[in-house]
Amino acid sequence: MNAFIDFIMGPMVWVAFLIFILGLIFKMVLIIKDINARESYVYSYLTWKHSLRSIFAWMTPFLPQSTKQSPVFYSISYIFHLLLFIVPIFLMSHIVLINEAFQVSWVALDDGLADILTVIVILALVFFAIRRHMVPEVKYLTSYKDYLLLIIVALPFITGFLAYHQFFFYKAMVIAHVISGEIMLILIPFSRFSHMIVAPLTRAYMGSEFGNVRHAKDW
Amino acid sequence: MKPWKRKSINRETKMKQKVIFIGFILFLFTAVIAFSNTDEPEGLERLDNSVFENPHRPGAVFAHDDHNEIAQIEDCAVCHHVYEDKKLVEDESSEDSPCSECHSLKPTEENSISLSVAYHKQCKDCHFEENKGPVLCGECHIKE
Amino acid sequence: MANEIETKDEPTIVKEKNTDKAVEAGLARLTPQRIKSTINQVLQKETGPRFKAYVETCMHCGLCAEACLYFLSNDRDPAYSPAGKVKQTIWEMLEKKGEVSTDFLRRAVHIAQTECNVCKRCSMYCPFGIDVAYLMLMVRRICHKLEITPLYIQDTVNSHSATMNQMWVKEDEWIDTLQWQEEDAREEFENLRIPLDKMGADVMYSVIAPEPKFQAGLLYQAATIMHAAGVNWTMPSSPGWDNSNMAMFTGDNEISGRIARAFYETAARLKVKRIVMGECGHAFRSTYDVGNRWIGWAMPPFEVVHALEFYHELLTSGRITIAEKFKKTVTLHDPCNVSRGRGLHDMAREVTNMMCESFIEMTPNREHNFCCGAGGGVINCGPPYKGERMINNKVKAEQLKATGAEVLIAPCHNCHSGLEDIVHHYDLNMEVKFLGDLIYETMEKKIYKPGD
Ligand code: HEM
Ligand code: HEM
Ligand code: SF4
Ligand code: SF4
Ligand code: SF4
Repeated sequence: MNAFIDFIMGPMVWVAFLIFILGLIFKMVLIIKDINARESYVYSYLTWKHSLRSIFAWMTPFLPQSTKQSPVFYSISYIFHLLLFIVPIFLMSHIVLINEAFQVSWVALDDGLADILTVIVILALVFFAIRRHMVPEVKYLTSYKDYLLLIIVALPFITGFLAYHQFFFYKAMVIAHVISGEIMLILIPFSRFSHMIVAPLTRAYMGSEFGNVRHAKDW
Repeated sequence: MKPWKRKSINRETKMKQKVIFIGFILFLFTAVIAFSNTDEPEGLERLDNSVFENPHRPGAVFAHDDHNEIAQIEDCAVCHHVYEDKKLVEDESSEDSPCSECHSLKPTEENSISLSVAYHKQCKDCHFEENKGPVLCGECHIKE
Repeated sequence: MANEIETKDEPTIVKEKNTDKAVEAGLARLTPQRIKSTINQVLQKETGPRFKAYVETCMHCGLCAEACLYFLSNDRDPAYSPAGKVKQTIWEMLEKKGEVSTDFLRRAVHIAQTECNVCKRCSMYCPFGIDVAYLMLMVRRICHKLEITPLYIQDTVNSHSATMNQMWVKEDEWIDTLQWQEEDAREEFENLRIPLDKMGADVMYSVIAPEPKFQAGLLYQAATIMHAAGVNWTMPSSPGWDNSNMAMFTGDNEISGRIARAFYETAARLKVKRIVMGECGHAFRSTYDVGNRWIGWAMPPFEVVHALEFYHELLTSGRITIAEKFKKTVTLHDPCNVSRGRGLHDMAREVTNMMCESFIEMTPNREHNFCCGAGGGVINCGPPYKGERMINNKVKAEQLKATGAEVLIAPCHNCHSGLEDIVHHYDLNMEVKFLGDLIYETMEKKIYKPGD
C-alpha cells in the first residue's frame, strides 16, 4: 500500500502539475497560433489599455452592472474562486509535504480556519448546484456535464475535509483526496475549467472592441 | 406563453441530472452526520510534543518498544543518529539527548532540517522504503 | 409589475408553422446533404479561435439572460435568453455535426433573424464577454447560405445587390426627389441648394434609402440645417448614396462588402473630407464598424460622423443657434449602434438639453439601454413577424411608459420605426421624433456667417 501512496504522492503529483501547467501553456500556444493563422485581424483592435481596463473592471467586485443585478451569485462566485486558490496553496498539510520535498515553505493558514474555508467552498458548490437546478434560465442550459464539473471541483475539498477530521476510512479518504485533486488539475486544461486562461482573452477582446472601436464601456 | 418554444430536455438526461444532483446532496449529508462521530481511542501512547509552541496536530502515536520489536530494530543509531559538520558519524548514537537539541523549530545555518521535518522524514522515508507502516498525516496524528 | 402595460391589439398567436413564404419555400428545397455540408463549411471554415472560445468557454451560468430584452419581455422564458438561443442553434449544430432537420432550421432562422437584435447588450453582462450577437450572425450566415432568409429582409438585400440601395430606388427617382426637396426648401430659405456631386466638399451627406422612398421630409430638414449652418456639403447622385446595409444582417457578407465598397468609393470619387450620415444606427454600424472590415479596412477609410455627433458639433460651435427651446417633456432612447456602438450617448444628452426644456432620463440608459427590438434586421423581416415583435418589446414599452414623457427622441431610423410600433401597440401616447425634427423646429432660421 505504501508503494501506491508513494506513487500518487510522488510521481503522480509531478505528472498532474506538469499536465496542468504545460497543458495550459500548450492551450495558450494553440490559441495564439490559431489566431495568427485564421483571425490575425484581432490584433488590429486589441490594445493593452482597453484589455486591462476591462479585465480589471470585471475583477472589481460590484463594479459591473451584471454584478449589481446578481449580487448574491457574484459574491459567492468571487469567494469561491478566491478560496479555490487560497485554500490549497496555504494549507498546512500541503505546505508540510512541499517542505519535506523541496525544503521551501511559506505561511500556512491555521488548520481550523482552513477547515472553515473548506466548508465555505463546499457550500458555494452546493449553492451552484442548487441554482442550476432551480433557476430556469440556468437549468435550461444545464446538462449532466455541468454537474460533473461541479463534482470534480467538490471532490478534493470534500475528501480533504473528511480526511482531516478522520471521520472514517481515513487512509482511503486521503488516497481519494489526492487522486481527485490530481484529476481536477489534469482536467483543467482540457475542460471548460480552461476558462482560467481563456476568460482573460475573451474579456480582452471584448474590452478592446468596446473601448477601442466603440468608445464604450463593456461592464 | 408559447409552449412550442420550450424545448424539453429529453427524459434520459433529466433522470441523469436528478441522480447526480441527489447523489451530490446525499454525499454531503453523510459528511455532516459523520461530524458527530468523535470517540477518542483509548490508551494511545503519544510522542511528547511540548517543544512545539502551538502544535497544529496532536502528538504522533508511537509505541517505541513495540515498534522496534515488530520492526526488528536493535541498533539505536538507526534512528538516533549523530551528525557532525553535516556528516553522519558512524557507530555513535544519540538516544540520550532529545531530538530538539539539534533540530530546532525552524531550519538554521548549521542544521537545515527542522524538528517536524526531521520527524516526518525519519519515519516516512523508512516506511516508504519498507513498504510498511503509517505514512499519512492522520495515521500518526490520530485525532484526540 | 409596477407599470403593467395594457395591450391594445390582441396578442398574435404564433404557430409552429412559419408564415414566411421564403423560409418555407427555402426549407422545402433543402437536402440533408446540403444542410450538413453548409453548416460544417461555415462553422469550420468561416470561424476561428474566437468562435471556439465562445462555444467552449461558456460556463452555462445564465448571467447573460438578465441583459436580453427578449428574455425579459417573454416572462423570463429561458428559450429567449442569449445562451439559450445559442443552445438551440449553434450548440446543437455542433453536437449533431451539422446533421439537423428542417424543423430545426425553421426554428433556428426564426431565433437568429427575429429573436435577437444582435445588439451586444449580453456581452456586457457575460463575465467572459462572450459575443452572442456574433454567434447569432453566424446562424444567419448559415441560413443565408441555405437560402432560408425571411422574405422581406431578403428582398432588401436583393435590392441592394441590383441597385446598391435598399428600396429599389432608381437613379432618376433619387435625383428627382432631391431636386423636389430642394425646390420646396427654397420657399423657406432663398438660395438653398442640395449640391450634387460637388467635388472636394467638406461633407458628403448620406442617408438610407427609406428617406427618399417614404420620408423625403427628412431630406428637406437636413438640407435646411446644412444650409443654415453654412456647411460646404454635397450629396452623391450615383449609386453609393445609400449607407444602409441589410446584407450585413442576413449574413450575406459578400453583398455587404460590395455595399460598403460602393459607399466609400463614392466618397473617394467626390474627394470629400468626411462623411456625415443621417440618423440611422445600423447604417452607422455598417460604415463605421462592419462594412469596412469586409473590404479590409481595420477602421473606416473616411471619417464617418453620425448625425448626432454632427449636430453636437453644429450646436456647440454656434453654427446653429436655438431660437426657442422645445417645451414638451422629452425622453431619449439610446440606439445601441451609436451608444453601445460608438459611445455617443453623452453627446446625445448634451444636444437634447441644448434644445429641450425638460429632459427625462429613461432607465436603464446609455450603454445599458434596452434595444428598441426593431434593429439588427428584425423589423426588416416584415409583417409576418410583427405580432411577435410587439410581445418581444414589452419591457421596452414598460421602460418608455415609466418616463411619462410626451416626446420620445430616437436618433435612429430602425429605432424610430420600431418605437412607433411600440407606442401604438401599447397605447403609450408618445410622439416619436428624430433629433433633426427637433433641431428643425427649434433652430433660428437664419444663415450662419462666421463672426456673427
Ligand atoms: C495534488 C495532490 C494533492 C496532495 C498530495 C494533497 C495532499 C493533502 C493532504 C495530505 C491533506 C491532509 C489530510 C489530513 O490532514 O489528514 C490534504 C488536505 C486537504 N487538501 Fe489536498 N492534496 C492535493 C491536492 C489538493 C487540491 C487540488 C485541493 C483543492 C483544490 C486540495 C484541497 C485540500 C483540502 C481542502 C484539504 C483539507 C483541509 C481541511 O479541511 O482542513 N488538495 N491534502
Ligand atoms: C483565474 C482563474 C479563473 C477565473 C478568472 C474564473 C472566472 C470565472 C467566471 C467569470 C465564471 C462565470 C460565472 C461566475 O462568475 O461564477 C466562472 C465559473 C466557474 N468557475 Fe471559474 N475562473 C477561474 C478559475 C477556475 C478554476 C481553476 C476552476 C476549477 C478548477 C473554476 C471553476 C468554476 C466553476 C465550477 C464555475 C461555474 C459555476 C456555476 O456552475 O455557475 N474556475 N469562473
Ligand atoms: S445581442 Fe441583444 S438581443 Fe441578441 S441575445 Fe444578446 S442581448 Fe439579446
Ligand atoms: S453569461 Fe456568458 S458564460 Fe454565462 S451562460 Fe451566458 S454566454 Fe455563457
Ligand atoms: S434600431 Fe436602434 S436600438 Fe434598435 S438595434 Fe438598431 S440601433 Fe439598436
